[in-house]
Amino acid sequence: MDDRMLHEYRREPDPEFARDLRERLRRSERTRRFPRPVLRAVAVACSLGVVVALFAIPSVRVSAQALLDLFRVRRFAAVRFDQSRLDALESIEKEKGFLVFDHEETIREPGPPRSVPSAQAATAEAGFAVSTPSYLPDSLAADSVLVQGEGAMRFSVSEAKLRSVLDKLDVKGVTVPSGLDGQWVQVKKPPIVIQRFQSSNRRAVLLQALSPEVSVPAGWNLEQLAEIGLRILGLDPSEAKRIARTTDWRTTLLVPVPLNATTFRVVTVHGNSGLMIVTTGDEPPPPGKPQRKGVMVMWSAGDRVFCLRGNLSAENMLQMANSVSP
Amino acid sequence: MANGDATAARLWLWARKARATDWDARFAEELPRVYNFFRYRVGPGVVAEDLTGITFEKAWAARDRYREDRAGFETWLFAVARNVAVDHFRRAKVSVPLDEVTDLPAGPTPEEIAERRSDEARLGALLARRSERERELLALKYGAELTNREIARMTGLSESNVGTILHRAVEALRAEWNKESHDG
Repeated sequence: MDDRMLHEYRREPDPEFARDLRERLRRSERTRRFPRPVLRAVAVACSLGVVVALFAIPSVRVSAQALLDLFRVRRFAAVRFDQSRLDALESIEKEKGFLVFDHEETIREPGPPRSVPSAQAATAEAGFAVSTPSYLPDSLAADSVLVQGEGAMRFSVSEAKLRSVLDKLDVKGVTVPSGLDGQWVQVKKPPIVIQRFQSSNRRAVLLQALSPEVSVPAGWNLEQLAEIGLRILGLDPSEAKRIARTTDWRTTLLVPVPLNATTFRVVTVHGNSGLMIVTTGDEPPPPGKPQRKGVMVMWSAGDRVFCLRGNLSAENMLQMANSVSP
Repeated sequence: MANGDATAARLWLWARKARATDWDARFAEELPRVYNFFRYRVGPGVVAEDLTGITFEKAWAARDRYREDRAGFETWLFAVARNVAVDHFRRAKVSVPLDEVTDLPAGPTPEEIAERRSDEARLGALLARRSERERELLALKYGAELTNREIARMTGLSESNVGTILHRAVEALRAEWNKESHDG
Protein backbone atom coordinates (compact mmCIF):
# COMPACT_ATOMS: atom_id res chain seq x y z
CA MET A 1 0.00 0.00 0.00
CA ASP A 2 1.45 3.33 -0.98
CA ASP A 3 0.61 6.88 -2.00
CA ARG A 4 -0.23 5.73 -5.50
CA MET A 5 -2.86 3.35 -4.25
CA LEU A 6 -4.48 6.09 -2.24
CA HIS A 7 -4.70 8.24 -5.36
CA GLU A 8 -6.08 5.33 -7.34
CA TYR A 9 -8.95 4.96 -4.92
CA ARG A 10 -10.47 7.92 -6.77
CA ARG A 11 -13.23 7.18 -9.26
CA GLU A 12 -15.06 9.24 -11.81
CA PRO A 13 -18.65 9.87 -10.77
CA ASP A 14 -21.24 7.73 -12.50
CA PRO A 15 -22.13 9.55 -15.76
CA GLU A 16 -25.86 9.14 -15.17
CA PHE A 17 -25.57 10.61 -11.69
CA ALA A 18 -23.46 13.49 -13.06
CA ARG A 19 -25.95 14.19 -15.83
CA ASP A 20 -28.97 14.12 -13.51
CA LEU A 21 -27.33 16.38 -10.95
CA ARG A 22 -26.20 18.82 -13.59
CA GLU A 23 -29.72 19.06 -14.97
CA ARG A 24 -31.11 19.70 -11.50
CA LEU A 25 -28.59 22.48 -10.97
CA ARG A 26 -29.18 24.00 -14.38
CA ARG A 27 -32.81 24.44 -13.60
CA SER A 28 -31.84 26.52 -10.60
CA GLU A 29 -29.26 28.58 -12.37
CA ARG A 30 -29.55 32.24 -12.94
CA THR A 31 -27.32 34.51 -14.97
CA ARG A 32 -24.58 35.33 -12.50
CA ARG A 33 -21.25 33.96 -13.62
CA PHE A 34 -17.70 33.87 -12.40
CA PRO A 35 -15.13 35.50 -14.64
CA ARG A 36 -11.92 33.63 -15.24
CA PRO A 37 -8.58 35.35 -14.92
CA VAL A 38 -7.95 35.97 -18.60
CA LEU A 39 -11.45 37.15 -19.32
CA ARG A 40 -11.43 39.14 -16.11
CA ALA A 41 -8.26 40.78 -17.35
CA VAL A 42 -9.84 41.45 -20.71
CA ALA A 43 -12.87 42.97 -19.06
CA VAL A 44 -10.76 45.22 -16.87
CA ALA A 45 -8.59 46.16 -19.82
CA CYS A 46 -11.76 47.00 -21.72
CA SER A 47 -12.78 49.21 -18.88
CA LEU A 48 -9.56 51.15 -19.16
CA GLY A 49 -11.19 53.23 -21.77
CA VAL A 50 -8.25 54.57 -23.65
CA VAL A 51 -7.10 51.01 -23.96
CA VAL A 52 -10.26 50.48 -25.91
CA ALA A 53 -8.12 51.63 -28.77
CA LEU A 54 -6.11 48.45 -28.30
CA PHE A 55 -9.24 46.39 -28.58
CA ALA A 56 -10.49 48.07 -31.54
CA ILE A 57 -9.85 46.83 -34.76
CA PRO A 58 -9.22 46.77 -38.40
CA SER A 59 -9.09 48.01 -41.66
CA VAL A 60 -9.57 51.56 -40.72
CA ARG A 61 -12.57 51.82 -42.85
CA VAL A 62 -12.66 55.54 -42.75
CA SER A 63 -16.26 56.49 -43.06
CA ALA A 64 -17.56 58.55 -45.91
CA GLN A 65 -17.59 61.57 -43.69
CA ALA A 66 -14.14 60.72 -42.35
CA LEU A 67 -15.52 61.33 -38.90
CA LEU A 68 -14.61 58.05 -37.35
CA ASP A 69 -11.87 55.49 -37.33
CA LEU A 70 -13.43 52.07 -37.28
CA PHE A 71 -11.70 48.95 -36.01
CA ARG A 72 -12.37 45.26 -36.30
CA VAL A 73 -10.58 42.19 -34.96
CA ARG A 74 -8.50 40.32 -37.51
CA ARG A 75 -5.80 38.92 -35.29
CA PHE A 76 -4.99 38.34 -31.65
CA ALA A 77 -1.86 39.14 -29.69
CA ALA A 78 -0.98 38.39 -26.10
CA VAL A 79 0.77 40.65 -23.69
CA ARG A 80 1.99 39.44 -20.34
CA PHE A 81 1.22 41.42 -17.26
CA ASP A 82 1.50 41.03 -13.53
CA GLN A 83 -1.63 39.97 -11.68
CA SER A 84 -0.86 42.56 -9.02
CA ARG A 85 -1.37 45.28 -11.62
CA LEU A 86 -4.83 43.98 -12.33
CA ASP A 87 -5.57 44.05 -8.61
CA ALA A 88 -4.32 47.65 -8.46
CA LEU A 89 -6.54 48.65 -11.36
CA GLU A 90 -9.54 47.02 -9.77
CA SER A 91 -8.77 48.81 -6.54
CA ILE A 92 -8.66 52.15 -8.35
CA GLU A 93 -11.89 51.34 -10.10
CA LYS A 94 -13.59 50.56 -6.80
CA GLU A 95 -12.30 53.78 -5.30
CA LYS A 96 -12.88 56.17 -8.15
CA GLY A 97 -15.43 54.54 -10.39
CA PHE A 98 -14.88 53.70 -14.02
CA LEU A 99 -11.24 54.31 -14.80
CA VAL A 100 -11.07 56.87 -17.57
CA PHE A 101 -14.63 57.54 -18.68
CA ASP A 102 -17.06 60.10 -17.42
CA HIS A 103 -20.30 58.99 -18.98
CA GLU A 104 -21.79 56.03 -20.73
CA GLU A 105 -24.87 55.49 -22.80
CA THR A 106 -26.40 52.16 -23.66
CA ILE A 107 -27.47 52.27 -27.25
CA ARG A 108 -28.64 48.69 -27.40
CA GLU A 109 -28.94 46.21 -24.53
CA PRO A 110 -27.88 42.69 -25.59
CA GLY A 111 -29.90 40.92 -22.93
CA PRO A 112 -29.12 37.47 -21.53
CA PRO A 113 -28.20 34.54 -23.82
CA ARG A 114 -31.22 32.64 -25.07
CA SER A 115 -31.26 28.92 -25.65
CA VAL A 116 -31.98 27.81 -29.23
CA PRO A 117 -32.58 24.27 -30.44
CA SER A 118 -29.72 23.98 -32.94
CA ALA A 119 -26.86 25.65 -34.75
CA GLN A 120 -29.20 26.19 -37.68
CA ALA A 121 -31.59 28.05 -35.43
CA ALA A 122 -28.67 30.09 -34.12
CA THR A 123 -27.76 31.01 -37.68
CA ALA A 124 -31.20 32.49 -38.19
CA GLU A 125 -31.09 34.24 -34.83
CA ALA A 126 -27.56 35.65 -35.08
CA GLY A 127 -27.63 36.60 -38.74
CA PHE A 128 -24.49 34.79 -39.85
CA ALA A 129 -23.66 31.20 -40.82
CA VAL A 130 -22.79 29.40 -37.59
CA SER A 131 -19.90 26.94 -37.84
CA THR A 132 -19.64 23.76 -35.81
CA PRO A 133 -16.65 21.55 -35.06
CA SER A 134 -16.54 18.21 -36.86
CA TYR A 135 -14.02 16.75 -34.38
CA LEU A 136 -15.19 16.14 -30.81
CA PRO A 137 -12.51 14.39 -28.73
CA ASP A 138 -12.81 12.67 -25.36
CA SER A 139 -16.40 11.51 -25.94
CA LEU A 140 -17.64 15.10 -26.10
CA ALA A 141 -21.14 15.50 -27.46
CA ALA A 142 -23.05 18.60 -28.50
CA ASP A 143 -24.92 19.82 -25.46
CA SER A 144 -26.68 23.12 -26.04
CA VAL A 145 -26.65 26.29 -28.15
CA LEU A 146 -27.29 29.83 -26.94
CA VAL A 147 -27.41 33.19 -28.67
CA GLN A 148 -26.79 36.56 -27.09
CA GLY A 149 -28.13 39.54 -29.01
CA GLU A 150 -26.37 42.59 -30.31
CA GLY A 151 -25.28 45.29 -27.89
CA ALA A 152 -23.94 48.79 -28.34
CA MET A 153 -22.63 51.39 -25.90
CA ARG A 154 -20.69 54.59 -26.02
CA PHE A 155 -18.44 56.28 -23.50
CA SER A 156 -16.99 59.73 -23.09
CA VAL A 157 -13.34 60.09 -22.16
CA SER A 158 -12.11 62.01 -19.13
CA GLU A 159 -8.54 63.25 -19.41
CA ALA A 160 -8.55 64.06 -15.71
CA LYS A 161 -9.42 60.47 -14.82
CA LEU A 162 -6.76 59.15 -17.17
CA ARG A 163 -4.11 61.37 -15.59
CA SER A 164 -5.28 60.30 -12.16
CA VAL A 165 -4.89 56.61 -13.06
CA LEU A 166 -1.38 57.27 -14.39
CA ASP A 167 -0.49 59.09 -11.17
CA LYS A 168 -1.86 56.37 -8.94
CA LEU A 169 0.06 53.70 -10.83
CA ASP A 170 3.15 55.90 -10.86
CA VAL A 171 3.40 55.71 -14.64
CA LYS A 172 5.94 58.32 -15.76
CA GLY A 173 7.18 59.49 -19.11
CA VAL A 174 4.00 59.20 -21.15
CA THR A 175 2.25 62.08 -22.82
CA VAL A 176 -1.51 62.19 -22.75
CA PRO A 177 -2.69 63.45 -26.12
CA SER A 178 -4.68 66.65 -25.99
CA GLY A 179 -8.24 66.80 -27.19
CA LEU A 180 -9.39 63.51 -25.68
CA ASP A 181 -11.60 65.08 -23.07
CA GLY A 182 -15.28 64.57 -23.73
CA GLN A 183 -14.70 62.55 -26.89
CA TRP A 184 -16.91 59.53 -27.38
CA VAL A 185 -15.84 55.95 -28.03
CA GLN A 186 -18.49 53.60 -29.34
CA VAL A 187 -18.44 49.84 -28.96
CA LYS A 188 -20.71 47.57 -30.96
CA LYS A 189 -20.95 43.95 -29.99
CA PRO A 190 -22.60 41.77 -32.64
CA PRO A 191 -24.66 38.72 -31.63
CA ILE A 192 -22.63 35.92 -30.07
CA VAL A 193 -23.37 32.23 -30.60
CA ILE A 194 -22.35 29.93 -27.77
CA GLN A 195 -22.14 26.18 -28.38
CA ARG A 196 -21.54 23.87 -25.44
CA PHE A 197 -20.03 20.39 -25.66
CA GLN A 198 -19.91 18.01 -22.75
CA SER A 199 -18.87 14.56 -21.61
CA SER A 200 -18.87 13.14 -18.11
CA ASN A 201 -15.67 14.91 -17.18
CA ARG A 202 -14.76 17.13 -20.11
CA ARG A 203 -16.31 20.23 -21.51
CA ALA A 204 -15.70 22.74 -24.25
CA VAL A 205 -17.45 25.92 -25.28
CA LEU A 206 -17.20 27.52 -28.70
CA LEU A 207 -18.09 31.20 -28.98
CA GLN A 208 -18.32 32.84 -32.37
CA ALA A 209 -19.43 36.22 -33.59
CA LEU A 210 -18.86 38.75 -36.28
CA SER A 211 -16.01 41.00 -35.24
CA PRO A 212 -16.91 43.51 -32.56
CA GLU A 213 -16.46 47.09 -33.72
CA VAL A 214 -14.98 50.03 -31.92
CA SER A 215 -15.13 53.49 -33.38
CA VAL A 216 -13.18 56.46 -32.11
CA PRO A 217 -12.92 60.03 -33.38
CA ALA A 218 -10.75 60.27 -36.47
CA GLY A 219 -7.26 61.52 -35.86
CA TRP A 220 -6.56 59.84 -32.54
CA ASN A 221 -2.93 58.85 -32.20
CA LEU A 222 -3.37 55.15 -31.66
CA GLU A 223 0.30 54.43 -31.16
CA GLN A 224 0.47 56.97 -28.38
CA LEU A 225 -2.72 55.71 -26.77
CA ALA A 226 -1.58 52.11 -27.08
CA GLU A 227 1.67 52.95 -25.32
CA ILE A 228 -0.30 54.52 -22.47
CA GLY A 229 -2.54 51.46 -22.28
CA LEU A 230 0.43 49.12 -22.18
CA ARG A 231 2.11 51.16 -19.46
CA ILE A 232 -1.13 51.03 -17.48
CA LEU A 233 -1.01 47.25 -17.83
CA GLY A 234 2.43 47.38 -16.24
CA LEU A 235 4.80 46.96 -19.17
CA ASP A 236 8.13 48.73 -18.87
CA PRO A 237 8.59 51.87 -20.98
CA SER A 238 10.77 50.38 -23.72
CA GLU A 239 8.61 47.28 -24.16
CA ALA A 240 5.44 49.35 -24.23
CA LYS A 241 6.92 51.64 -26.85
CA ARG A 242 8.16 48.74 -28.97
CA ILE A 243 4.82 46.90 -28.93
CA ALA A 244 2.89 50.12 -29.53
CA ARG A 245 4.98 50.83 -32.62
CA THR A 246 5.00 47.38 -34.14
CA THR A 247 1.34 46.42 -33.69
CA ASP A 248 -1.44 47.27 -36.10
CA TRP A 249 -3.97 48.44 -33.58
CA ARG A 250 -6.73 48.59 -36.13
CA THR A 251 -6.68 44.84 -36.66
CA THR A 252 -5.29 43.44 -33.44
CA LEU A 253 -7.13 42.43 -30.32
CA LEU A 254 -4.73 42.53 -27.42
CA VAL A 255 -5.27 39.87 -24.80
CA PRO A 256 -3.68 40.52 -21.41
CA VAL A 257 -2.30 37.24 -20.05
CA PRO A 258 -1.51 36.97 -16.33
CA LEU A 259 2.13 36.08 -15.67
CA ASN A 260 1.47 33.37 -13.13
CA ALA A 261 0.49 29.84 -14.09
CA THR A 262 -0.40 30.82 -17.62
CA THR A 263 1.37 30.22 -20.91
CA PHE A 264 0.46 31.27 -24.39
CA ARG A 265 1.60 30.59 -27.92
CA VAL A 266 0.72 31.61 -31.44
CA VAL A 267 -1.13 28.85 -33.30
CA THR A 268 -2.48 28.43 -36.80
CA VAL A 269 -6.15 27.66 -37.29
CA HIS A 270 -7.27 27.15 -40.86
CA GLY A 271 -4.29 29.13 -42.04
CA ASN A 272 -5.12 32.05 -39.77
CA SER A 273 -2.94 33.16 -36.93
CA GLY A 274 -4.53 32.44 -33.59
CA LEU A 275 -3.62 32.50 -29.94
CA MET A 276 -3.67 29.65 -27.46
CA ILE A 277 -3.64 30.43 -23.75
CA VAL A 278 -3.08 27.59 -21.32
CA THR A 279 -3.81 28.15 -17.66
CA THR A 280 -1.83 25.43 -15.99
CA GLY A 281 -2.95 25.88 -12.43
CA ASP A 282 0.28 24.25 -11.33
CA GLU A 283 1.07 26.84 -8.72
CA PRO A 284 -1.14 27.04 -5.66
CA PRO A 285 -3.41 30.05 -6.11
CA PRO A 286 -2.84 33.05 -3.88
CA PRO A 287 -4.96 33.17 -0.74
CA GLY A 288 -8.55 33.87 -1.55
CA LYS A 289 -8.15 33.22 -5.27
CA PRO A 290 -9.50 30.20 -7.12
CA GLN A 291 -7.21 27.87 -8.99
CA ARG A 292 -7.93 27.60 -12.70
CA LYS A 293 -7.00 25.10 -15.33
CA GLY A 294 -8.00 25.18 -18.94
CA VAL A 295 -7.18 26.02 -22.50
CA MET A 296 -8.47 28.86 -24.65
CA VAL A 297 -7.93 29.18 -28.41
CA MET A 298 -8.85 32.42 -30.18
CA TRP A 299 -8.73 32.99 -33.91
CA SER A 300 -10.45 34.90 -36.65
CA ALA A 301 -11.60 33.69 -40.05
CA GLY A 302 -13.11 35.99 -42.62
CA ASP A 303 -15.37 38.40 -40.82
CA ARG A 304 -15.82 36.21 -37.76
CA VAL A 305 -13.94 35.75 -34.51
CA PHE A 306 -13.89 32.48 -32.57
CA CYS A 307 -13.01 31.54 -29.04
CA LEU A 308 -12.86 27.89 -27.93
CA ARG A 309 -12.48 27.20 -24.22
CA GLY A 310 -12.39 23.92 -22.37
CA ASN A 311 -10.63 21.50 -20.07
CA LEU A 312 -9.26 19.24 -22.80
CA SER A 313 -5.59 18.88 -23.69
CA ALA A 314 -4.03 21.68 -25.73
CA GLU A 315 -3.59 19.30 -28.66
CA ASN A 316 -7.22 18.23 -28.65
CA MET A 317 -8.39 21.81 -28.33
CA LEU A 318 -6.31 22.84 -31.32
CA GLN A 319 -7.53 19.91 -33.38
CA MET A 320 -11.09 20.74 -32.43
CA ALA A 321 -10.54 24.39 -33.41
CA ASN A 322 -9.17 23.32 -36.78
CA SER A 323 -12.26 21.20 -37.37
CA VAL A 324 -14.51 24.26 -37.16
CA SER A 325 -15.35 25.10 -40.75
CA PRO A 326 -14.19 28.63 -41.55
CA MET B 1 -26.32 58.92 -18.98
CA ALA B 2 -24.91 57.22 -15.99
CA ASN B 3 -21.79 57.51 -13.93
CA GLY B 4 -18.60 55.58 -14.41
CA ASP B 5 -19.52 52.82 -12.01
CA ALA B 6 -22.55 52.02 -14.09
CA THR B 7 -20.38 51.79 -17.17
CA ALA B 8 -18.00 49.37 -15.56
CA ALA B 9 -20.86 47.36 -14.17
CA ARG B 10 -22.49 47.18 -17.59
CA LEU B 11 -19.32 45.95 -19.26
CA TRP B 12 -18.88 43.33 -16.60
CA LEU B 13 -22.47 42.32 -17.05
CA TRP B 14 -22.02 41.90 -20.75
CA ALA B 15 -18.91 39.85 -20.28
CA ARG B 16 -20.65 37.69 -17.73
CA LYS B 17 -23.79 37.22 -19.73
CA ALA B 18 -21.80 36.30 -22.81
CA ARG B 19 -20.08 33.64 -20.79
CA ALA B 20 -23.21 31.79 -19.91
CA THR B 21 -21.39 28.55 -19.28
CA ASP B 22 -19.22 29.22 -16.29
CA TRP B 23 -21.37 27.22 -13.93
CA ASP B 24 -21.19 24.29 -16.30
CA ALA B 25 -17.44 24.65 -16.26
CA ARG B 26 -17.40 24.80 -12.51
CA PHE B 27 -19.59 21.76 -12.28
CA ALA B 28 -17.45 19.72 -14.67
CA GLU B 29 -14.26 20.72 -12.88
CA GLU B 30 -15.45 20.25 -9.34
CA LEU B 31 -17.84 17.30 -9.48
CA PRO B 32 -15.12 14.62 -9.51
CA ARG B 33 -13.30 16.31 -6.65
CA VAL B 34 -16.37 16.72 -4.47
CA TYR B 35 -17.59 13.21 -5.24
CA ASN B 36 -14.21 11.74 -4.35
CA PHE B 37 -14.02 13.84 -1.20
CA PHE B 38 -17.16 12.04 -0.05
CA ARG B 39 -15.97 8.72 -1.44
CA TYR B 40 -13.00 8.92 0.90
CA ARG B 41 -15.19 10.17 3.73
CA VAL B 42 -18.09 7.72 3.61
CA GLY B 43 -17.01 5.10 1.10
CA PRO B 44 -18.28 4.42 -2.40
CA GLY B 45 -21.94 4.14 -3.27
CA VAL B 46 -25.12 6.09 -3.15
CA VAL B 47 -24.32 7.91 0.09
CA ALA B 48 -21.31 9.59 -1.52
CA GLU B 49 -23.51 10.54 -4.48
CA ASP B 50 -26.28 11.84 -2.22
CA LEU B 51 -23.88 13.99 -0.22
CA THR B 52 -22.28 15.27 -3.43
CA GLY B 53 -25.70 16.23 -4.73
CA ILE B 54 -26.59 18.00 -1.48
CA THR B 55 -23.31 19.91 -1.56
CA PHE B 56 -23.83 21.19 -5.10
CA GLU B 57 -27.46 22.07 -4.47
CA LYS B 58 -26.52 24.06 -1.38
CA ALA B 59 -23.64 25.74 -3.19
CA TRP B 60 -25.76 26.58 -6.24
CA ALA B 61 -28.54 27.98 -4.08
CA ALA B 62 -26.07 30.21 -2.24
CA ARG B 63 -23.76 31.09 -5.08
CA ASP B 64 -24.93 34.69 -5.26
CA ARG B 65 -23.34 35.10 -1.84
CA TYR B 66 -20.01 33.77 -3.06
CA ARG B 67 -17.47 36.53 -3.37
CA GLU B 68 -14.44 35.80 -5.47
CA ASP B 69 -12.39 38.39 -3.67
CA ARG B 70 -13.15 36.82 -0.32
CA ALA B 71 -12.51 33.12 -0.85
CA GLY B 72 -11.43 30.90 -3.68
CA PHE B 73 -14.23 28.94 -5.25
CA GLU B 74 -12.77 25.60 -4.23
CA THR B 75 -12.32 26.80 -0.68
CA TRP B 76 -15.90 27.92 -0.61
CA LEU B 77 -17.27 24.76 -2.21
CA PHE B 78 -15.34 22.45 0.09
CA ALA B 79 -16.44 24.48 3.09
CA VAL B 80 -19.99 23.61 2.01
CA ALA B 81 -18.97 19.97 1.48
CA ARG B 82 -17.37 19.73 4.91
CA ASN B 83 -20.52 21.09 6.53
CA VAL B 84 -22.60 18.57 4.62
CA ALA B 85 -20.33 15.81 5.90
CA VAL B 86 -20.64 17.07 9.47
CA ASP B 87 -24.44 17.09 9.17
CA HIS B 88 -24.36 13.59 7.74
CA PHE B 89 -22.28 12.15 10.56
CA ARG B 90 -24.37 13.98 13.13
CA ARG B 91 -27.53 12.43 11.76
CA ALA B 92 -26.13 8.99 11.15
CA LYS B 93 -25.54 7.74 14.63
CA VAL B 94 -22.77 5.23 14.56
CA SER B 95 -24.87 2.14 14.90
CA VAL B 96 -25.45 -0.91 12.82
CA PRO B 97 -29.01 -2.10 12.25
CA LEU B 98 -29.79 -5.40 13.92
CA ASP B 99 -30.65 -7.11 10.66
CA GLU B 100 -27.26 -6.22 9.28
CA VAL B 101 -25.58 -7.78 12.28
CA THR B 102 -27.66 -10.91 12.16
CA ASP B 103 -27.42 -11.20 8.43
CA LEU B 104 -23.67 -11.52 8.33
CA PRO B 105 -22.51 -14.49 6.31
CA ALA B 106 -21.69 -17.46 8.44
CA GLY B 107 -18.30 -18.28 7.07
CA PRO B 108 -17.00 -17.45 3.63
CA THR B 109 -14.26 -19.57 2.16
CA PRO B 110 -10.80 -18.08 1.77
CA GLU B 111 -11.39 -17.93 -1.97
CA GLU B 112 -14.59 -15.94 -1.48
CA ILE B 113 -12.84 -13.57 0.86
CA ALA B 114 -10.03 -13.06 -1.58
CA GLU B 115 -12.43 -12.40 -4.40
CA ARG B 116 -14.65 -10.03 -2.48
CA ARG B 117 -12.01 -8.08 -0.70
CA SER B 118 -10.29 -6.49 -3.60
CA ASP B 119 -7.60 -3.94 -2.95
CA GLU B 120 -10.17 -1.22 -3.30
CA ALA B 121 -12.51 -2.75 -0.77
CA ARG B 122 -9.63 -3.36 1.62
CA LEU B 123 -8.51 0.23 1.35
CA GLY B 124 -12.05 1.45 1.89
CA ALA B 125 -12.34 -0.66 5.01
CA LEU B 126 -9.02 0.62 6.33
CA LEU B 127 -10.01 4.21 5.66
CA ALA B 128 -13.20 3.69 7.63
CA ARG B 129 -11.12 2.82 10.68
CA ARG B 130 -9.21 6.09 10.71
CA SER B 131 -10.21 8.89 13.04
CA GLU B 132 -12.61 11.60 11.87
CA ARG B 133 -9.84 14.14 11.51
CA GLU B 134 -7.48 11.82 9.69
CA ARG B 135 -10.18 10.69 7.32
CA GLU B 136 -11.22 14.22 6.52
CA LEU B 137 -7.64 15.22 5.75
CA LEU B 138 -7.15 12.09 3.63
CA ALA B 139 -10.36 12.93 1.77
CA LEU B 140 -9.25 16.49 1.14
CA LYS B 141 -5.78 15.37 0.07
CA TYR B 142 -6.52 12.35 -2.10
CA GLY B 143 -10.19 12.74 -2.90
CA ALA B 144 -10.37 16.49 -3.49
CA GLU B 145 -6.72 16.63 -4.57
CA LEU B 146 -5.98 19.73 -2.54
CA THR B 147 -2.48 20.73 -1.53
CA ASN B 148 -1.41 20.71 2.10
CA ARG B 149 -1.44 24.50 2.00
CA GLU B 150 -5.02 24.58 0.75
CA ILE B 151 -6.07 22.04 3.37
CA ALA B 152 -4.38 24.09 6.07
CA ARG B 153 -6.19 27.23 4.92
CA MET B 154 -9.47 25.37 4.91
CA THR B 155 -9.18 23.58 8.23
CA GLY B 156 -7.34 26.20 10.25
CA LEU B 157 -4.45 23.79 10.93
CA SER B 158 -0.91 24.78 10.12
CA GLU B 159 0.54 23.43 6.90
CA SER B 160 3.16 21.44 8.78
CA ASN B 161 0.51 20.03 11.06
CA VAL B 162 -1.51 18.91 8.04
CA GLY B 163 1.60 17.25 6.61
CA THR B 164 2.33 15.49 9.88
CA ILE B 165 -1.21 14.17 10.35
CA LEU B 166 -1.37 12.95 6.77
CA HIS B 167 2.02 11.29 7.03
CA ARG B 168 1.00 9.45 10.19
CA ALA B 169 -2.35 8.46 8.71
CA VAL B 170 -0.74 7.05 5.58
CA GLU B 171 1.85 5.21 7.67
CA ALA B 172 -0.90 3.73 9.81
CA LEU B 173 -2.82 2.65 6.72
CA ARG B 174 0.32 1.07 5.32
CA ALA B 175 1.02 -0.80 8.53
CA GLU B 176 -2.53 -2.14 8.73
CA TRP B 177 -2.43 -3.07 5.07
CA ASN B 178 0.79 -4.98 5.49
CA LYS B 179 -0.48 -6.68 8.63
CA GLU B 180 -3.63 -7.82 6.86
CA SER B 181 -1.60 -9.06 3.93
CA HIS B 182 0.72 -10.94 6.26
CA ASP B 183 -2.13 -12.44 8.26
CA GLY B 184 -3.77 -13.56 5.03
